[in-house]
Amino acid sequence: MTARSDRQPPFHPGVYDAQAKLKQGRLSRREFLRLATLLGAGASAAYVLAACGVPAASPTASAAPIKRGGVIRVGTQVQAIDHPARYSLIGYDANITRAVHEYLTETDRNNITHPYLLESWAASDDLKTWTLKLRQGILWYQNGANTEELVADHIQFNFSEWLNPDTGSSIAALWTGFLTLANLEVQDKYTLVLHLDNPKLDVPESLFHYPAQIVHPSFDGDISTGQNASTGPMVLTEYKVGERARTVRRDGYWQNGSDGQPLPYIDEIVHIDLGNDQTAAVAALQGGQVDTIYSPTVDSYLALRNDPKIRVDAVGTAQSRVLRFRVDLEPWNNNDVRSAVKKIQNRQKILDQAYFGQGLLGHDVHVSPVHPEWAPLDVPEYDPDGARALLAAAGLPDLTFKISVGSGWTDVVAYAETLQQDAVAAGITIELDSMPVDSYWNIWTETPVGITPWTHRPLAVMLLPLAYIAGPDGKPVAWNESRWVDAEFSQLLLQAQGTLDIDARRALMEKLEVIQRDRGSIAVAWWQNFWDVWNPAFQNVQPHPTAYNLWREVWYDPDKQA
Amino acid sequence: MLTFWLRRLAFTLLTLFIVSIAVFAVSELAPGNIARHSLGITITPDQEKSFNAQNGLDQPALARYLRWMIGSDWQAARLIGRPVTRLRDAATGRADWWEVGDAGAYYQHYSLDGETMLRVVREPDGSEHEAALGPDAWQPDATGVLTFWGVDRAGRAAMWVKGRNLAELTLTDAGWISVPGAPVRYLPLQLGLLRGDPGVSFLTRRPVIETLVSRLRNTALLAGLAFLFIMPLSLALGLLAGLNEGKPLDRLLSLFGLVTTATPEFVNGVFLILIFSTWLGWLPGAVVLSSDTAIFENPSMLALPILTLTLVELGYVMRITRASLVEVMRANYIRTAVLKGLPYWRVVVRHALRNALLAPITVIMLHINWLVGGIVIVESIFGYPGLGSFILQTALFKDVFGLEAATMVLVLLAVVTQLAADVLYTFLNPRIRYG
Repeated sequence: MTARSDRQPPFHPGVYDAQAKLKQGRLSRREFLRLATLLGAGASAAYVLAACGVPAASPTASAAPIKRGGVIRVGTQVQAIDHPARYSLIGYDANITRAVHEYLTETDRNNITHPYLLESWAASDDLKTWTLKLRQGILWYQNGANTEELVADHIQFNFSEWLNPDTGSSIAALWTGFLTLANLEVQDKYTLVLHLDNPKLDVPESLFHYPAQIVHPSFDGDISTGQNASTGPMVLTEYKVGERARTVRRDGYWQNGSDGQPLPYIDEIVHIDLGNDQTAAVAALQGGQVDTIYSPTVDSYLALRNDPKIRVDAVGTAQSRVLRFRVDLEPWNNNDVRSAVKKIQNRQKILDQAYFGQGLLGHDVHVSPVHPEWAPLDVPEYDPDGARALLAAAGLPDLTFKISVGSGWTDVVAYAETLQQDAVAAGITIELDSMPVDSYWNIWTETPVGITPWTHRPLAVMLLPLAYIAGPDGKPVAWNESRWVDAEFSQLLLQAQGTLDIDARRALMEKLEVIQRDRGSIAVAWWQNFWDVWNPAFQNVQPHPTAYNLWREVWYDPDKQA
Repeated sequence: MLTFWLRRLAFTLLTLFIVSIAVFAVSELAPGNIARHSLGITITPDQEKSFNAQNGLDQPALARYLRWMIGSDWQAARLIGRPVTRLRDAATGRADWWEVGDAGAYYQHYSLDGETMLRVVREPDGSEHEAALGPDAWQPDATGVLTFWGVDRAGRAAMWVKGRNLAELTLTDAGWISVPGAPVRYLPLQLGLLRGDPGVSFLTRRPVIETLVSRLRNTALLAGLAFLFIMPLSLALGLLAGLNEGKPLDRLLSLFGLVTTATPEFVNGVFLILIFSTWLGWLPGAVVLSSDTAIFENPSMLALPILTLTLVELGYVMRITRASLVEVMRANYIRTAVLKGLPYWRVVVRHALRNALLAPITVIMLHINWLVGGIVIVESIFGYPGLGSFILQTALFKDVFGLEAATMVLVLLAVVTQLAADVLYTFLNPRIRYG
């Protein structure tokens, strides 16, 4: 890493407040670190503050000397891409350009956010004015040469892309109600100021939303050409849909490795499309033909966990399979009908059958126990009699409905099948409408009842606005697949998004959770674990709860080859 | 003989034509939405409408079919009043459509306000400059409305209407933006299949032919090697079983054939991976193409897919060969030959074999087609990017151009292999004549 500025800005008052709470034991160290870095204290300063003034030991460099060279071969899928802002999958699109186009910030595996292309950020006391300072001396790289420096105008261009409804980016929903392009001020060459309409706590984390990869204003509209300027440690040299994508090391990257030379340590990453079925990817990993596979399924995990030639790491997430109902359609506009279906979830059984017990139980709210603002709730019981009573009251004693299921997701299928069995006791008949995963993505916002995979996000206040509010036009936001909009919920959520105090935010979150549990449009039976599976020759690999491949400091040690 | 060939050719063309219509119709009826597949799951209805218009997807099915078959450049040339042509960009290798203008120059057009047409002129030396066209560029159409037909900046024939300041959602340097002064009608340009242009795939966003060539090459390699391996082996084993009818060797081979044929390839394949890759570690369990030449650098990757295909095919061809040979060996002329005192091997090779091979040849030739397009399951087990998986992907995506091109290849292959079978028949049995 290049040396960060030693200037210590006066911290946001919330940081001192949080520090006091940490001393009183009212805040966990992890929550404090998250909060302090969220408010711009910078990671090292946060560690110092967390230690109550005693400088914490800097993270020690790994003992073994770094070696350079090597190729990471990833078993994944390679799908057609064009504009990064329109990415809608983490692994099959964003991960391929992850080492090419970078983010302004970076959230690490502990859900702590650091400045990245930014040197620092600072928030006003009311969380409505955010000053983003760019790191200086970052050079764009295009066609084999370094070109110009990254400046604030370039970031403004990216914001204009994200906020433009025509771009169709999911980023827009994160800023809806907070930021319009007119309120984005380029203060000087390296400084941007966001004048928000409402307080927003998660500005740094929103900048690490997976489509928020920074492109140059000369972006030609098709990222897969490999002709676009980029700031990352690698450049895209090959992109064949359905076959492979290759990124190779560039010269003059702005970050140095521990040996004083620019990162990355490895020479190349090859993403190889091994198809929809992970059997081939697992066989390839076991046979040493690939070094890692993207997002192993639970079946792959079970196949690999006892393989001595593979290193397996697990991390808990807020990733789930969300059963959601279109509340603008009959009979799902009736909350009793939705509640009845929620009651037929035998959660532990579902977790065991769908995910071999590898996860946490859900509460029909899109907030995970790993989220810092999680307010504990009791796990709802399996209650077929209650469901039957609700349906009788709703005048639908023999409810029959179809669930759209992507057959490629075995856990989704197992979830739906378990529901189907356990629904019988409540007099509910469930039919499974199975389809290939691609077809499911074709109808995911349209189908009346479906099970949609939702990825992890580090804060609940980042997840909920994506799918459970209306946009400024009053219509449900782009990803509001269930069309559920609740005035009280939206109001509380807006408040929570501007609440710094973690206790206060948790109190709000408890209300939000109760609303969503009692009258929401979704059922969440469990939260998935995530695994990272690697050839042990690769060092310095950190599993990330969002499955972001952050590999600039990964290095290859041929001596550790199993 | 000539009539036979002519008839065969006519029959081939007819088959191709009918299949192309059938595939088009099926992909038309199949559920799915190309715009959504192409632009992602978050697009708005307006973007979808715009995408469909720009890609000509809002036109009737017949018009789209004809455009795919016979192209649209001639139609555009008529509307524009100038021929259009494809120019290849030397840097990116990507082709783009231009009007052929005066003095070796090429034209594209756009408008910022729906009032003034701007012409981009590309000189023969490759340099480009812009010029505004005067008001007389607008031509009144049948109803008196002033219109202008030209090739737009995205290489489509387009019609602008004077005074209509429309916004088009388009992918430009600045992403998806609304462009004022957009055309009101589009005619995507292509040469048409009959002139060797199968169009641009929606799945890969590249010309279909690029993907097709590499997929066909992969498949030809796998299918070809499998064919070379399976056919001699299964014929030899079938003949061996047939000649030893009822003996233990026959029983053993027949049982083996029955077991392998009865086990589907996804079972065989997984077992083979578990045994040879996971357990013994002798062979790679997946086909990992980390570069275009990876398959030639490490051909052992193909061993398990070929073995899987062999297990599926072997028993089938073997049993047909065996049955056919057993039947022939019971024929009167064979008995005559034996009674005449000919040596046994001479009877088999000179008299029995030719007739006994007729049935297996038919089966084998039919299976070439299956090996090329139908081995989707084997491709999926081993992660092999072949033609079968391309067909599956394009079908799921509703990428009609990719699907049509791949099916045409398969139909052509089916016809050619049948033709080869016919020729082989005449060689095996001179009594068979075509005319």
